[in-house]
Amino acid sequence: MNSRRNFLKQFSSAALAASAVPSLLSWATSDRSAPINVPGEEGLIVRSYRFVDLETPVEYFNTWLTPVPHFFVRNHMHEPSELDADSWRLTVGGEVGKPFTLTLAELSKLETHSVVNTLECAGNGRSLYRPQVPGVQWGKGAVSTARFSGPRLRDILQRAGVRPTGKHVMFRGLDEVPGKVPPFIRSIPVEKALDSDTLVATHMNGEALTKHHGFPARALVPGWIGAASCKWLTEIKILESEFVGNFMSPGYRFPNQPIKPGDAVKPEDTHPVTGLSVKSVISGPLDGASLKSGKVAVHGTAWAGEADIVKVEISTDGGTSWNPARLGHDQAHYAWRLWTYDWKASGGDHTVLSRATDSQGRTQPATPLWNPSGYLYNAPDQVKLHVS
Amino acid sequence: MCPTMVLVVAVITATVSLTAFAQQPAAKLAEDLPAGAMQAKATTSCLECHEARIILQQRLSKGAWAKEVDKMVKWGAVVDASDHDALIDYLSTNFSPEQPPYEAPRTAVEKTSAENGKKKNSK
Repeated sequence: MNSRRNFLKQFSSAALAASAVPSLLSWATSDRSAPINVPGEEGLIVRSYRFVDLETPVEYFNTWLTPVPHFFVRNHMHEPSELDADSWRLTVGGEVGKPFTLTLAELSKLETHSVVNTLECAGNGRSLYRPQVPGVQWGKGAVSTARFSGPRLRDILQRAGVRPTGKHVMFRGLDEVPGKVPPFIRSIPVEKALDSDTLVATHMNGEALTKHHGFPARALVPGWIGAASCKWLTEIKILESEFVGNFMSPGYRFPNQPIKPGDAVKPEDTHPVTGLSVKSVISGPLDGASLKSGKVAVHGTAWAGEADIVKVEISTDGGTSWNPARLGHDQAHYAWRLWTYDWKASGGDHTVLSRATDSQGRTQPATPLWNPSGYLYNAPDQVKLHVS
Repeated sequence: MCPTMVLVVAVITATVSLTAFAQQPAAKLAEDLPAGAMQAKATTSCLECHEARIILQQRLSKGAWAKEVDKMVKWGAVVDASDHDALIDYLSTNFSPEQPPYEAPRTAVEKTSAENGKKKNSK
């Protein structure tokens, strides 16, 4: 009996070992961590390939303008399968006196304006919330800055003649919706739409928008969450009230009062997410780095949506004491501010934090503002460093 | 074939072979869902609309997974009623909060543009 049992044991472990060989071979020939080729997108973290969700690594946050191949990409749905510049049309209608349609050539003839804007996904930092919430598990890099240019949305709306009943401006894009998913249609208040810095953008850092960034035109709502800046724009419709749809409610809403992490919140106790919060990121040294004691250049960036960055403070002792960082020279209304901090690092393990304050008096909260959707994470950034 | 053409073809073949040899192992563009009794059914139900990484990166409790599956069914995912509980078990076992984080791959960097980038971005 024993020898038969032993035989079966040996046979089954041999069979297991044999079945492991093909998967080992496939590991060797198809490396899970090998880079994925996405033309035009370089060194970005692939949160998803289908839909395209690419995150900027924090080490790229060392230039004021993010080069387009390093600019994060966020898609809820599939990109348009066909995009033809000649047949593309932008319709303007709804609560207007004179609805009209523009070709790309006609749009390109309108007077342009330029805005340097820090675009951030509402879900940036979601992976840092505890308890964890569903959604794309962005780290620190669903944010980038570029110079966007194109006609002012205000000029287009004034040509259409917005009626006094027009309270909200709806954007619809050409993205393609799978299954029975509700379309990604949202609206913004008419006041923000008529702001002189809100654009129908056609260019990014001086070049025509790439497909991933919304070619041929996108809404550009500066200082607000990326979801407001509809890509592959094809329709602008003025409404009497907020658009009714999944991505206005329950999507993109935030609790009116802080709630206990893990709790539910009723829709009537939430408000729409609009302007970005005050936030900072350490772009170097990187989390987990080992450094030599002495002079260490800590650097990063800070932003605050429609407000300005007033100060950035750094702690090298886990948040006990804070010292001011030096703010970078380049600045614009809706753009981030680079910062540097000269640290005389002594040996040991250090937790370095960055905390920004803005012109509206907001400071990054010590405790993250947990919410069921994982939006607007903006607790101070932190990196753990070992100094020898 | 004329001698020049033979030479051209030989050069092209050699170049292509050398390039293929020098490339890293091919990245798996599409990841698989984890092995298990429900792998095939989960693949059919879930990966019609989006790829596996959308799931692989989640870390949710069983209750939260149940909510997500119901939302996905509302949005068009086809899940047999008889498979509903097994699917939630499969997801919540493999992607519970205790699991280590999913390590995402990166997009490739073209050598020449990385060098150009260094020149442009010296600020």
